[in-house]
Amino acid sequence: MKCILNTGRTVPQGTAVEHKGSDAYRAVASACFLNPVDMLILGIENGARVGITSPAGHVVLTAISAEGVTRGEIFVTIGPYANHIISSETHGTGMPDFKNQSIKVEPTEEPVMSVGELMEEIGGLRYDRQ
Amino acid sequence: MTELLVKNACVIDPIRGINGEIMDIAIRDGRIVESVSDRAESIDAQRCLTLPGGIDSHTHVCGTKVNFGRYMSPEDMRAGRTQRRGRMHVTSGYYVPTTFGNSYRYSAMGYTTLLEGAMAPLEARHTHEEFTATPHQDMLANTLFDGNWAVMDAVREKNINKAAAIVGWTLNAVKGYGIKLTNPGGTEAWGWGEDLTGIHEHVPHFEVTPAEIITTMIQANELLKLPHSVHLHCNNLGKPGNYQTTLDTFELVPDLNPDRQTLYATHVQFHAYGGGTWRNICSKAEEITRSVNSKPQIVMDMGQIMFCRTMTMTADGPMEFNLHCLHHNKWSNHDVELETGSGIIPVTYSKKSAVNCIMWAIGLELALLTKSPWQCLLETDNPNGAPFVKYPEVIGLLMSKRYRDEECATLHADTEKRTSLCALEREMDWHDIAVMTRAGQAKALGIISQGKGHLGIGAEADIAVYPIRTDSVDPAREYRKVVEGFQKTRYTIKRGRVVSRDGEIIVDGANATFWVNAKVPEDLRMENDPEFIKRFEQFYTVRMSNYPVQDVYLPRGRCIETEAFT
Amino acid sequence: MIVSDVVCPFCGCLCDDLELDVEGDRIMHVQNGCSLAESTFMHDTRLPAPIRRTTTGWENISYDEAIKETADILKDADRPLLYGWSSTHGEAQSVGVHIAELIGAVIDNTSTVCHGPSILAIQEVGHPGCTLGQVKNRADVIIYWGCNPIEAHPRHMSRYTTFATGFFVPDAQRERMVIVVDTRRNDTANIADEFVHMEPGGDYAVLSALRAIVRGKESILPKKVAGISKEQLIRIAGICTNAKFGAIFFGLGLTMSRGKYKNVRNAIELTDELNRHTKFVISPMRGHGNVYGSNEVFTWMTGYPFAVDFARGIAFYNPGETTAVDILRREECDAALIVASDPGANFPRDAAAHLAKIPTVVIDPHVNATTALSHIHIPCTAAGIDAAGTAYRMDGVPIRLKKVIERGYPDDAEILKKIYDRLNGGTGP
Repeated sequence: MKCILNTGRTVPQGTAVEHKGSDAYRAVASACFLNPVDMLILGIENGARVGITSPAGHVVLTAISAEGVTRGEIFVTIGPYANHIISSETHGTGMPDFKNQSIKVEPTEEPVMSVGELMEEIGGLRYDRQ
Repeated sequence: MTELLVKNACVIDPIRGINGEIMDIAIRDGRIVESVSDRAESIDAQRCLTLPGGIDSHTHVCGTKVNFGRYMSPEDMRAGRTQRRGRMHVTSGYYVPTTFGNSYRYSAMGYTTLLEGAMAPLEARHTHEEFTATPHQDMLANTLFDGNWAVMDAVREKNINKAAAIVGWTLNAVKGYGIKLTNPGGTEAWGWGEDLTGIHEHVPHFEVTPAEIITTMIQANELLKLPHSVHLHCNNLGKPGNYQTTLDTFELVPDLNPDRQTLYATHVQFHAYGGGTWRNICSKAEEITRSVNSKPQIVMDMGQIMFCRTMTMTADGPMEFNLHCLHHNKWSNHDVELETGSGIIPVTYSKKSAVNCIMWAIGLELALLTKSPWQCLLETDNPNGAPFVKYPEVIGLLMSKRYRDEECATLHADTEKRTSLCALEREMDWHDIAVMTRAGQAKALGIISQGKGHLGIGAEADIAVYPIRTDSVDPAREYRKVVEGFQKTRYTIKRGRVVSRDGEIIVDGANATFWVNAKVPEDLRMENDPEFIKRFEQFYTVRMSNYPVQDVYLPRGRCIETEAFT
Repeated sequence: MIVSDVVCPFCGCLCDDLELDVEGDRIMHVQNGCSLAESTFMHDTRLPAPIRRTTTGWENISYDEAIKETADILKDADRPLLYGWSSTHGEAQSVGVHIAELIGAVIDNTSTVCHGPSILAIQEVGHPGCTLGQVKNRADVIIYWGCNPIEAHPRHMSRYTTFATGFFVPDAQRERMVIVVDTRRNDTANIADEFVHMEPGGDYAVLSALRAIVRGKESILPKKVAGISKEQLIRIAGICTNAKFGAIFFGLGLTMSRGKYKNVRNAIELTDELNRHTKFVISPMRGHGNVYGSNEVFTWMTGYPFAVDFARGIAFYNPGETTAVDILRREECDAALIVASDPGANFPRDAAAHLAKIPTVVIDPHVNATTALSHIHIPCTAAGIDAAGTAYRMDGVPIRLKKVIERGYPDDAEILKKIYDRLNGGTGP
């Protein structure tokens, strides 16, 4: 299914924002919100995993049903999961297309990565000790 | 102990009555002294014109609305940029330079003390941060009270003591220097998108008039024994026919202070218009100066415009909006809760515009028709009339009828019949200019006692040596040399250190900020007033304990204490 | 010990009425703050000591070593990028600019991926705004456009708008009308008096439609604009022109959607238009607590609010060229200093990936996503918790953040000054 990507802040994301290694952060940042009818069409339950693909990349998120989200829209909390599929093209403005991109959404069995794994996928080395 | 000797200086020091004497100036530890030892470093001024450091009594260089002007104008930042070089940081901006830009360029012109024209108390911290980043000039902050709710309530209650106590508390809290009123009452009306059109009109809800605000604040100012007088940007700025408002305002002013004026009326050019529309606007400089000439209790500054693109920025929000409707340039607005307003919009003053030509003429007329140069000071309301780097050209015009005539020949044809500039023969001399660019400001601001504006023993060693030989330059004919001479000093000395040499800044600055602590009697103090406290609890969005500017923001603060109510 | 009137440094609201219960070096309780404030003050876990990445993992190093190596990295770089700045105080931001000027670096702040487009719009058409207290005391119409204060600025509505008692608006809930414009029915929309449900990407068209109505040209409008009916648009425009004082607050819905700064420009021009009928203001909902401060400091020092490039020896500004994401995307920078921000989490993956390819140093109190991409991470104080300094609220009002506890970390301004000194052969900025 094709959806329009929307990203934004949430309170749970804000409370966990300085603990990006935590499970709490991973849970909120890797969540995406879909309209219940769209989830029905995709054939998934609340909490199921979906694979999101754009020309810039692919990431696995957990789908949560939200009536406020319009049909055809997908809302993802701002953070490394959303950014994993956003291109760094800014059209000369400095600002990437964090919203309004058309992306592909499909059910998946792949696991949701941790933030550390996401960073390692792009060349980093996670720091786990606290 | 550091000693410096400036030799062979041709000194003009109006406050001490010195007019063109060749002398040596001895400096020790930042102050002028009788003499120094043989080990003193020495500079040969080579009989060049040497004046006390320049003092600007009304300039917009630091604070919220100035920074607004900068960041909304990247095109201006590009126009005025300079490279990092030696001790000089990068600078940007032509009509709204960055803080280092302002400081270096003022220093190159010999200026060592600046009064920031308008500081909103709520945002004073920002002004002070920028003061520290304007390192080569001592700074003072005109503090805005024109739309202040607590003040307007006190005015309505006819309670001068209370008004004074509020001012005292506020100046102390925000480290301000004096009372600034910009379109008094009008900035509060602008909170609703309205304005006032006369000094006897009532401010919506508060039911006070500009006339009442002005007269109460004048009384309060003197009760607090503030070194400077009330500093007023009259109502109706920029409107054809507004000269009557200005004259009516001047009529309100008593003579309450033997040492200085009781009212400082700023950028009066913008307030000296006759006619009633843009089509029949004309100069009323004669009427204005007739009033000022008969009132020693009033000092004004020119508010000269020059023909160039520049930025207007004032606390006069409604005026700026009207300018926006006229010119359609980009417009910013910033009203400050319970206090005041502001507006910012770029303008271009052009010789093709009859109105602009009349404005240009009026500024010069005001200076030339005011008998005493102590009563009409040289300012452009930087940057509203023109960027301060144009001061030398204004000097040239005041000193040379020929220069004025050459300019007049290129103006719009209507100028001559709507102004009287072309008929004025007067040419200012070096002494007049020294008064209008430093001595007069020092007196008006009340900082002579702080050692500013003169070169007597004990004065701060703020000195400007200009590459001008007054005995070999005829300013009436050789105005180009005058202009160039005032653009760049040979030496600018600040507190005994050479900070600028031929336009290059050679040391890092360490400026001081002057502020006033008027000691209000215990029973009148605002920190004990429940109503005052309530305003913070309920209507401000910053807590009363977080409002005052902490000492850390004034690394070299100079507090002037006054015995208020005595 | 109770410390009152504490300033929360987290978001652009800079609420300054918090009461903290402090015991030693721990904050036990937060009164008056939202849950973001509670998390900020009470769940403040820090990187204990500077760390450096090795081939196999991470090792602890001393502050001196970390500072020395950072200075060496910056000195050796041809085109260093100094990024972030939004969560630290102005004192540190100033030193950052001095460093950038000294070494000819590019310095950028988080506006670049947040309200940078708003700044671009302001640079085209200006900003008719005011301080938040003006809204609180006067506004009878509030519009939240493309933002969600309940989630991103939780106390905005209770301190400044919907629920705040104002001098001229004593019965706030009854007297204020709140309109929300968004592509989804978010929590703020649920408590609004009117929700305008717009199709994604429709902002520009809707703003133009409203401007047309305000100018009396409603006849040119189609039946629907971006999914909104003409009737609703006319009603909204009418509410605006009949307001005594209207305030528009907007967020990333405008800056990040297609059109970006053009959306914001249109919103500003609508505000401008409305000022010819009544009093109207517009304000961006700034995200980080002191991002506006970084704009202010950069501007008075260099002339530009973000994306400042010193490589030519002058201050040079060209968003799209000198902005951080573009510089990283083009793989143009060969070293990076990331201060008080998390581009690893907030930048698109390609841009973040480049940080892992070059020597990147992070100076931040907390371990974040960028830590994994960095070579060295130096922990420091958190402004507003264990360091005092100046922050600028979303409306430009400067407030001094308090130092509430001592945790034994160096202030990032001090760390930066030491780096500056090493780069400058010994003399301060």
